[in-house]
Amino acid sequence: MEPEHRDQPHLPGPTVYPIGFAAGVATLLVGLVVSPTVIAPIGGAIAMPAPATAPAVPADVGEAAMPPPAPGERFARSRFLEGATLGLGGVIGGVVTVPVLGMALGPAFGKQGKHRVDLGSIDNFPQGDWEIAHFFLHPDEGEVTRRTAYIRYNGLLSGKPSFTIISNRCAHLGCPVQPNGPSFPDQTKNFGTGGGQEVTLIKMLPAGGFGCPCHGGQYDTEGNRTAGPPVRSLDRYEYAIDNGHLILGKTYSVAHVDGTGSTAVIHRYGLAGPGQHIDGWEQIFYPLQPPH
Amino acid sequence: MSALDERRASFQRYKQDVKERGKPFYPYAMFHDTVMSLVVVCVIVGLACVWYLTSHEDPNRCQPKWSSCMLGPRYAEPADPGTTNFVPRPDWYFYFLFYLLRIFKWPDSVILGTVGIPTILLIIALVLPFIDTRRDRRLSRRPVAVIAAILVVISMGELTYKGAVAKEALASEVVAAVPSWAQREGFANNPKAVSGATVFAEAGCTACHTYLGTGGGNLGAPDLSAEGTKGKGVQGLTSYISDPSKFGNNVMPKFAAFANIPAKDAKGKNLGISELQALAIFLDASKGPK
Amino acid sequence: MAIATRTRKSPRRERLEAAVNYPIDWLEERSGLIGGIRYFLFRKVPGDTNWFHTLGSATLTAFLVQAVTGVILAMYYKPEPKTAYASIQHITNDVTLGWLVRGMHKWGASVFIILMFFHMARVFLFGAYKYPRELNWIIGVMLLVIGMLEGFTGYLLPWDQTAYWATIVGINLNGTAPFLGPYIAQFLRGGAEIGPDTLARFYSMHMLLIPGAIFALIGLHLYLVVRLGVSSPPWSKEAAGADWVEEQEVSTDGRRAGLTRPVPRNYVRGQRGDSA
Repeated sequence: MEPEHRDQPHLPGPTVYPIGFAAGVATLLVGLVVSPTVIAPIGGAIAMPAPATAPAVPADVGEAAMPPPAPGERFARSRFLEGATLGLGGVIGGVVTVPVLGMALGPAFGKQGKHRVDLGSIDNFPQGDWEIAHFFLHPDEGEVTRRTAYIRYNGLLSGKPSFTIISNRCAHLGCPVQPNGPSFPDQTKNFGTGGGQEVTLIKMLPAGGFGCPCHGGQYDTEGNRTAGPPVRSLDRYEYAIDNGHLILGKTYSVAHVDGTGSTAVIHRYGLAGPGQHIDGWEQIFYPLQPPH
Repeated sequence: MSALDERRASFQRYKQDVKERGKPFYPYAMFHDTVMSLVVVCVIVGLACVWYLTSHEDPNRCQPKWSSCMLGPRYAEPADPGTTNFVPRPDWYFYFLFYLLRIFKWPDSVILGTVGIPTILLIIALVLPFIDTRRDRRLSRRPVAVIAAILVVISMGELTYKGAVAKEALASEVVAAVPSWAQREGFANNPKAVSGATVFAEAGCTACHTYLGTGGGNLGAPDLSAEGTKGKGVQGLTSYISDPSKFGNNVMPKFAAFANIPAKDAKGKNLGISELQALAIFLDASKGPK
Repeated sequence: MAIATRTRKSPRRERLEAAVNYPIDWLEERSGLIGGIRYFLFRKVPGDTNWFHTLGSATLTAFLVQAVTGVILAMYYKPEPKTAYASIQHITNDVTLGWLVRGMHKWGASVFIILMFFHMARVFLFGAYKYPRELNWIIGVMLLVIGMLEGFTGYLLPWDQTAYWATIVGINLNGTAPFLGPYIAQFLRGGAEIGPDTLARFYSMHMLLIPGAIFALIGLHLYLVVRLGVSSPPWSKEAAGADWVEEQEVSTDGRRAGLTRPVPRNYVRGQRGDSA
């Protein structure tokens, strides 16, 4: 029998025309934006030449529109076009999706911002007394960075001033922990310490430790959990003494505290979110934390 | 016939029945839909009007006064990330979750309330049509489904209600109860005991203890409504409160610091005793509700 | 004579009808949309659908109220921690009818959530999630979840105490998820601490991402409702497709008169253009 391929439309020869056309259109678009008079016409000229006529494809629908390879074709043209369409579509999706997702998800891997909070002279903190301290982590960002810490001056420990500085963020789900005891608003100190920092110190007596108004967590005066759902002790602030001023640094998480005051042993970990275990067997649930 | 074939045949019968005996969606069913939608829109507008007309620009005031802000204030105070006296509550449709979190009050179980139970509920909802593949839709033939529905409704309703009424034993809320305590326990004429009751309320004792129904009852701390009947005496109570660890109680904090604060009555007059003594006098005067 | 003139339309009326029909026919010829709408409206539903079946469309109405009022509120709201609270006060106290639009949005949210739960309960009790409607149930559950997410993200926007602290707790709830929790919480906050980025993020999600997803899923939900039909109440003696109907006596006492009565077969909707 005679081979039938003589009746088939002539197969087009190999061509790089699509690549040239794509390059021409790209040049045209860039040209229209940056230099409509010079670069754009060049792009137009590259894209201009008419393509060779493509072979007719049977006008069936669905899968039937994809004919078997014509004799002489080593690889079906329809298969190539299918692969190329899906591949190029994937490239388009990737080019758009990667930056969009990157920008949206980026902060998930960001660091805890650096801050250095000047709480004023350590003379404001009488030994053994508790103060509610309101301050701004970043005074330039305003009210949204207002934070509260409960501070007690423990006196000197081998010649250096020792402070207990507890964050008021509950270790259960982050509600604002309150002192279990009276505070004395008539003994309030307000002062600025430069750079827009406004510090408020209010004397208080948290004889019953601290309590959370949301789900009933209770802590003692070292921040150790005594009752309720908190998974660890209250977070604390790093501190330093600079020129007789108390300077707050990073926040860190605390599993528990042994002892009290200046001699307390703090079992310290990197900052973790509220409700996340940092010791005990449950820590396997939170193996990785964003860098802090 | 396999179960799937039966279901397919049933759906064919459904389509046939609807074709033969059904009614056009418009206007028959759509009339009902439109009436219902009108009701919904009216309810929304009505709620908005009542909410606005009974509230005031100032979130702490109501308008008119008797209305007591029927549907809450227009907005709360501005956000204060450094607050030490705010009691956070979610919107009502998260009350069930809020209360769930209060139920799981052991550190090991926190994760159950936060993600465990919500995730399980979600998975059950998603796979429901693949668990319940029986064709019959009549309630009398679906006892498990009916009981499950009733249990879900009751538990969600219960959790939502409890979340709505959940109160914290916070100083500001507890102090308001002091006059009624004095009335019911019959020490209203003893200014030292009343002063001690105020210290009791302010110092957060009710975070663990309960007193005439107020308070948390955490850690199994005892109810103190009738503490004065246990025969400890003012002196015994004073030494116990100032350092409970001496009596083998390592859970309760030490309140010795209150010995240095002079107790005052409601008018600010010095009573000549310390707050610690006032506290002990108050507890000794608590002989149970009359 | 008089009767004939009454049944035949006057030339003026015919011209008027032609003028009205022209744009409709024009649209139909070029898009087929009118046919689609006619199919949607005049499709058959079981004769025994009742008030319980209106919960779905009522939910849709509540969502549309949210969409419309939300777009207008966005014209006045300023998503920045320093300005958000003041703009909410301005909307509520100063802007013309701002209190009503904000009130509708605030209370519409609750109504929307309640109606979703009611609708879900109806579908559950009617067994309407069974073959072949499983997929539509799943889409409905997804709508419930992202509907509550919409409520959660919107709750922060007034930037008052309740908003701020409820959001803190909500974010930290997500933070306790095993393994990914810490990263999910950072993603929601847009950083290590709640700040201006958090508000902008929640605003974008509340305004664009989640409503877009809700619209898409509602479209799919409705498509499946139209394609698969509405199920009869299971207790109905005329329940469409039920093979248990034969076991029982079919009601013939005419109790189902009025709107719920099955429509007679020869009932024909008046069709436009075939009056001749």
